[in-house]
Amino acid sequence: MRAWCVGLALAVVLAACRRPPRPGEPLRGLSAAERARFDSGRVAFESVFTPGTGLGPLFNADGCAECHEEPVAGGAGDEIERHAAAFHATPPAGTRPCDELVALGGPVFQQRVTPALRAAVGIDSEPVPPEATAIAGRSSPDIFGFGLLDAVPDSEILARADPDDRDRDGISGRPNRFFDGRLGRFGRKALVPTLREFNDGATTIEQGVTNPVAPDEGTFGGRPFPPGTDPTPDPELSREAIDLVDFFVRLLAPPAAQRLSREARRGRDAFASIGCATCHVPLLHTGDSPIRALQHREVAAYTDLLLHDMGPDLGDICFANATPSEFRTEPLMGVRLMTRFLHDGRATTLEQAIELHNGEAARARDRFRTLTAEERAALVAFLKTL
Amino acid sequence: MTRFVLASFCIIAAFPPAATAQQPAAPTHSVQGAVRVVDVRGRAIEVTTGVGMALRVVRLQVPAAVRVTAAGAALSLTQLAPGDIVRVSYGGTPGGYVVYTIERVGSMATGLEVTP
Repeated sequence: MRAWCVGLALAVVLAACRRPPRPGEPLRGLSAAERARFDSGRVAFESVFTPGTGLGPLFNADGCAECHEEPVAGGAGDEIERHAAAFHATPPAGTRPCDELVALGGPVFQQRVTPALRAAVGIDSEPVPPEATAIAGRSSPDIFGFGLLDAVPDSEILARADPDDRDRDGISGRPNRFFDGRLGRFGRKALVPTLREFNDGATTIEQGVTNPVAPDEGTFGGRPFPPGTDPTPDPELSREAIDLVDFFVRLLAPPAAQRLSREARRGRDAFASIGCATCHVPLLHTGDSPIRALQHREVAAYTDLLLHDMGPDLGDICFANATPSEFRTEPLMGVRLMTRFLHDGRATTLEQAIELHNGEAARARDRFRTLTAEERAALVAFLKTL
Repeated sequence: MTRFVLASFCIIAAFPPAATAQQPAAPTHSVQGAVRVVDVRGRAIEVTTGVGMALRVVRLQVPAAVRVTAAGAALSLTQLAPGDIVRVSYGGTPGGYVVYTIERVGSMATGLEVTP
C-alpha cells in the first residue's frame, strides 16, 4: 500500500514537471538559482513608480506590468501608445526619407505627464510636432517567449530575406536595421536588435525611469525639461533592477500550443496551403545562449521577424528602413490570449485581422476568402490553439 | 624683444583661444549611429543613436583637422550623407561635443561594411 502511494505521488510530481508552462511561468529547465532570479525579476517587473522614485516627467505607464498585464505579468495590455514620424518618399536634400523626429521628442510621444511637468508647462501629454506626417497607434503585445526570439541567430532571419522577390512568390521580406547597422527584430517595425536593449530602453521611454544603460531622460518636444520637473537623480533605476527585469522577460515561456482538435488540424493545413506560413513561419530555432533553457530550441513563433509590405490601409509611420506600410510579421505564439489584433489593435477578431491583410499578404488573404465557411472556421480554430 | 613679441603674436594668432577651447582633452565618448544631418558649412554632423526605442540625436562639431575615413581611405565631410553609419570618437567641451575621429562603416540601406 505504501509503495503504491509513493508511486502515485511520484507520478503526480512527474506529470506536474512535464506540464507545459502556463502564461507567466518560466521556461522549463531552469536551475534553482535561475528560477529564484526569475521570481525576483517578476517583482521588479511589477514595481510601480511614482515621481518620487523616478517616474516621468513624461511617461506612458507607471510600471512594466501596467501595459503587460493580461492574463498575467508579461501579457498584453489594452493601452494604445502614440508614435509619430515624418516620411518623405522624395526626401529634401541632405535628409533620409524617414525622420523619426528624435530631435523633437519622437518617435514615442508619451501620453501622460507628472504633476510637476503639468504645473510647469501646462500640458497633459507630449505634443506631436507639426513636422509629423503620420501618427501611429501601438498596442502592447504579450512578451511571452521573447527570450527565445532573441536567441534566434541573425543568419536564420537573413536566410529568409528576399528583398527583391527573386523567387517570384509575391513575398519579399527584408530586414530592418538599427541606426548602428545591426539587424533589428523587436518592435512592430523590427527596429531593435536585442531584447536587452528593448528592455533597457523601455524603462526610460515608457516610464521615464532612467537606468545606467539608458541614462538620458530625453526631452520634452526636443527641449530640456524645465528645472524642478525631474527631481530624482539619474540613473533612477539601478543596474541590478534592470538586470532582473531583463532576466524575467527573457525567461518567460511562450504559451504552449494547445492540443489540436480534428477541426484545428484542418485549419493548420489550410494555414499552410493558403500561404500564411510563408511569413508566419511556424518554427524558428535558437542558437547558442549562456542560458541553457534558451539553447538550441525550437520556437513555435509563427514569424520570420522580417518586414513585409502590408498595403497602404494598414500603413502609418516609417521607422529606420521600414516604410510606412512595412511591418514585421507579428509572432502568433500566444495569439489565443489576445483580444485585439494588429499593430494598433484595430481588429477585434482574428477574422478581421486576416481580412485587413493586404500588400504582400493580399494573395493569402484572397485565398482565405475563397475558403468555405467551415474551412475559415477551422483556420481560426487552429490560431486559437497557439 | 620686438622679435619675441612678434613671435608670440604669431603663435596666438595661429592658435586662438577659441579654437583651443574647442579641442576636447580626450575622446571620452564613442558612438556608432546613423548620420541624420551633415552641416558642411557649420562643420557639424548629427547622429541618431540610442538604446532600444529610447532614441537620441547627438550633435557633434567636426574640426577641420579631423580625418574622416572609410575602409582606411580619407573622405571629406561633404562625402558623408544622411543614412551613412559612422563610428565616432568624441569628447565634451563647454561648447558641446567635438569629434576626434569619424569612420564610415556602412549605410542604413546596405548594412555594415566593417565589423565592429
